[in-house]
Amino acid sequence: MPVFLKMGISITFIRPFARVLVPFTLNRKRRVLHSTILQGYMSSKIPAMYYSKKESTSPEQLQLDGWKITMKSSVQEGVSADSEDPVTATRELIEMWRLLGREVPEHISEEELKTVMECVSKSSKKKYLKYLYVKEKMKKAKQIKKEMKAAAKAKAKDQVLETTQEDKQQNFLFLRLWDRQMDIAMGWKGVQAMQFGQPLVFDMAYDDYMKSKELQNTVSQLLESEGWNRRDVDPFHIYFCNLKIDSPFHRMFIKRYGKKWNKLLFTATEKSHVDLFPKDSIIYLTADSPNVMTTFKHDKIYIVGSFVDKNMQPGISLAKAKRLNLATECLPLDKYLQWDIGTKNLTLDQITRILLCLKNTGSWEEALKFVPKRKHTGYLEISQHSQEFANREKKSKTVNSFPKGSLNIYKQKR
Amino acid sequence: MMMFCFTSIRSFPKLWKNNPYLGGGPGHSYNSLFLKDYYGIRNQQKLFSLKTASPQNTKAVSLLAAKARYRRKGDEGSNKVSSEFPHLFAAGAAKKRSQMNPQSKDHALPPERNIIQLPTKPLNSEQWDKLKEDFKGKADFENWIISQMIRQSSSVDVAKSLLAWVATKNNGIVSYNLLVKYLYLCVFHKQTSEVFDVYEIMKARYKSLESGGSTLLIRGLIHSDRWREALLLLEDMKKVMTPSIKNYNDCIQGALLHQDVNIAWNLYQELLGHNLIPMMETLKAFFDFGKDIKDDQYSNKLLDILLYLRNNKLYPGESFAHSIKTWFESVPGEQWKGQFTTIQKSGQCLGCGKTIESIHLSPEEYEFLKRKIMSDVIDGGDQYKKTTPQELTRFQNFVKYCPPFDIVLDGLNVAKMFPKARESQVLLDVVSQLAKQNLRVLVLGRKHMIMPSARWRKDEMEKVQKQASCFFADNISEDDPFLLYATLHSGNHCKFITKDLLRDHKACLPDAKTQRLFFKWQQGHQLAIISRCPGSKITFQDILSYDTVVQTTGDSWHIPYDEDLLERCSYEVPTRWLCLHQKT
Repeated sequence: MPVFLKMGISITFIRPFARVLVPFTLNRKRRVLHSTILQGYMSSKIPAMYYSKKESTSPEQLQLDGWKITMKSSVQEGVSADSEDPVTATRELIEMWRLLGREVPEHISEEELKTVMECVSKSSKKKYLKYLYVKEKMKKAKQIKKEMKAAAKAKAKDQVLETTQEDKQQNFLFLRLWDRQMDIAMGWKGVQAMQFGQPLVFDMAYDDYMKSKELQNTVSQLLESEGWNRRDVDPFHIYFCNLKIDSPFHRMFIKRYGKKWNKLLFTATEKSHVDLFPKDSIIYLTADSPNVMTTFKHDKIYIVGSFVDKNMQPGISLAKAKRLNLATECLPLDKYLQWDIGTKNLTLDQITRILLCLKNTGSWEEALKFVPKRKHTGYLEISQHSQEFANREKKSKTVNSFPKGSLNIYKQKR
Repeated sequence: MMMFCFTSIRSFPKLWKNNPYLGGGPGHSYNSLFLKDYYGIRNQQKLFSLKTASPQNTKAVSLLAAKARYRRKGDEGSNKVSSEFPHLFAAGAAKKRSQMNPQSKDHALPPERNIIQLPTKPLNSEQWDKLKEDFKGKADFENWIISQMIRQSSSVDVAKSLLAWVATKNNGIVSYNLLVKYLYLCVFHKQTSEVFDVYEIMKARYKSLESGGSTLLIRGLIHSDRWREALLLLEDMKKVMTPSIKNYNDCIQGALLHQDVNIAWNLYQELLGHNLIPMMETLKAFFDFGKDIKDDQYSNKLLDILLYLRNNKLYPGESFAHSIKTWFESVPGEQWKGQFTTIQKSGQCLGCGKTIESIHLSPEEYEFLKRKIMSDVIDGGDQYKKTTPQELTRFQNFVKYCPPFDIVLDGLNVAKMFPKARESQVLLDVVSQLAKQNLRVLVLGRKHMIMPSARWRKDEMEKVQKQASCFFADNISEDDPFLLYATLHSGNHCKFITKDLLRDHKACLPDAKTQRLFFKWQQGHQLAIISRCPGSKITFQDILSYDTVVQTTGDSWHIPYDEDLLERCSYEVPTRWLCLHQKT
């Protein structure tokens, strides 16, 4: 708000003037505080006239004040409705802010209003209101787009109906059931992964460290991760470990997935990953780890913490790994990328895609394409020697890559 | 000539701020040189902004300021040692450090705007219509032009003619945000009658006001005889949210202006009750007003304010310090005498020779801090975050079975101080120099330091281990918390050496009071190495022996204050003092 920026200066100017004004006003009768509009209007008129007489800058003066009378006379609502209720007061405040051009929503529900009132500080209120404002704007834009699309579609349909009157006889090999076919194929692949796939664990034990907003983000990212995994040629067998029944995570999953929750092709368990797998084959992925991941190992179990950390609490996942005495690794972002801005913590879906890509190709350049472009300025030059070394490694891997069944040993142990 | 210059550059507040420094300096003649060329106004602004943005110029300006400051110091015959290396926590030291390794960051020039010459006289409707046609921009014209008027503080009449024009176009309706911006101009130009009018309009049209409008109204009303209505506005604001400290400031100033002391104090109490930190202006107003009041109760309340400053480690500004001085000197019958001074290194006030309070903590405070460091900084709810339980017990046993140390050294911080020298060499130098003075030294480090490598030679590390006790933490553990605990455990005489300001550890402490305690302890126990070349004997920065805080002995007051021209970081303390004592 540029309006208030200069306030600090203004006060120094006002004071000397006020000193002049005080003797002039003091000898008048002290007014009752709750002055009605009329009284207030009359009283305010007196100094105004005084002012105009004294200054009398331009002949337009009287004309200039004209708008005030209309403004005052056109009373919209009864002033007597003095709202003692904080809920309505808040609602009115938000409305006035909107008139002022601040970023607040136009419509606000009772529930949201309650959340606004529960915000402890002024800045948190403003932040929440801005969030609602942006949300409302997005919704409106989407609505408009939808309407436009519907209109265009209707128009196109009319045209098609007009033009394609003749020759409906054509030969097709397939019916148009692509989506369903794809779903079924992905389902088959998913079942295969459940039996023979390499485990990828999401550790859900971070719900205590997150606020509801972060929890929501985490669940969205997990949903996306699961989607990417499902579409892959060779999906992971995803585990959600430490997922307590009726925890916020669990409830949110059921809300987001709906009826599908029980038909999903991954393992959700209350058990910990250390109970399911041998400890020495677990690698906990965390950006705080001192060890850098060099290659993707097909016989290891990678664990990703499902944790969106907006509060900057470093070292929590590393502490978790330390507590259970697990190996840790971080992605070699600095080795391959010219890092620019942003944290090294990537979103869960980015990690999943990087891991999937590594699993299929083993190439870091290819895999790190999923790191957001804004975070780095480009790939680092890798010397010829290391390039060759990497190629050799890749070749040897393809020769004696693990037969799929070998991963099943963990299952048998259980 | 100069007047012209000032009006053309008003929109660059930075230059305004710097202007006092420039007086008579080389920069001055430079500016006027440009003015002699008859550029258009826009070009001049460009040149000005370029000039202010260039790093050399700002540096020159700040150098001038620094020079002025040290000259002043020299005049009073104070210690000159600190001029080369200001104390780690002395006000302005961070700024100075940052200038030692300059990273010139070019300030982006303000984007070119489409410039409409703002009217200087009230316009009629046709003229406004024409102006609107000339305007090409995304924003709403009325809104944009009144914002520009605010920026250049146009006269109220011009704004009023704009509003009149808007009203005629719009069936006599002026939107709320135009009204608020107009109100801003009225308040800025102290047009009280206009403020009343806008207030009536707002009361008539809107059921309630929002915080921005209320703030302006409060500010506009307090100088008039209707100042009590400002208090009602404040009450209205309280329904939805806590008013800001500025609102309270305005109301208190208004109450004092109208001689209503009780309301002012009540508002002040309310302000404290909301856990807000009052503006220095508010406190200054109480002192300024106190000059005319001869009342014990009032005086006691002013002393309470000083104690509030003490308890919250707040420092008055320069003008506030002057107000305090004037008030003390105006107290009848007590004959206070005040002077602005500095404190000697020994902790004696140059003005009266009294010793300033010691920096050392009381035994209770010390125990409290030790407990808090252990529970919040090292443990922090999860021992695995900074260390491991095994390591923690190993460390605690180690500290327990060693006799108290004199010096605890952050091995990695010290060793990395001189990037050109070998790490183990530097560490050995420092340790052997300390050991020669018969000090019991503890070196804290990480395990990788004892793995022989090019940077950490085995023989040198062995020598270090012979001359000092060593504790090596895991490579992924943090060593600073151990440093803090070992120092605290050894007792009050023990010092620690690191250049780290330990701000992240201070931030782990739960509340402001503990953080202040930590800071006080840190000031009293942290040694920083200041010698720059590794070959020479290593010298340490002196530890302050006195605490920089508002303090009294009954018949004297010592009040540190911030100089107006000096920027102080939150972890630095002022160096200038106001010394007040009673003539006997």
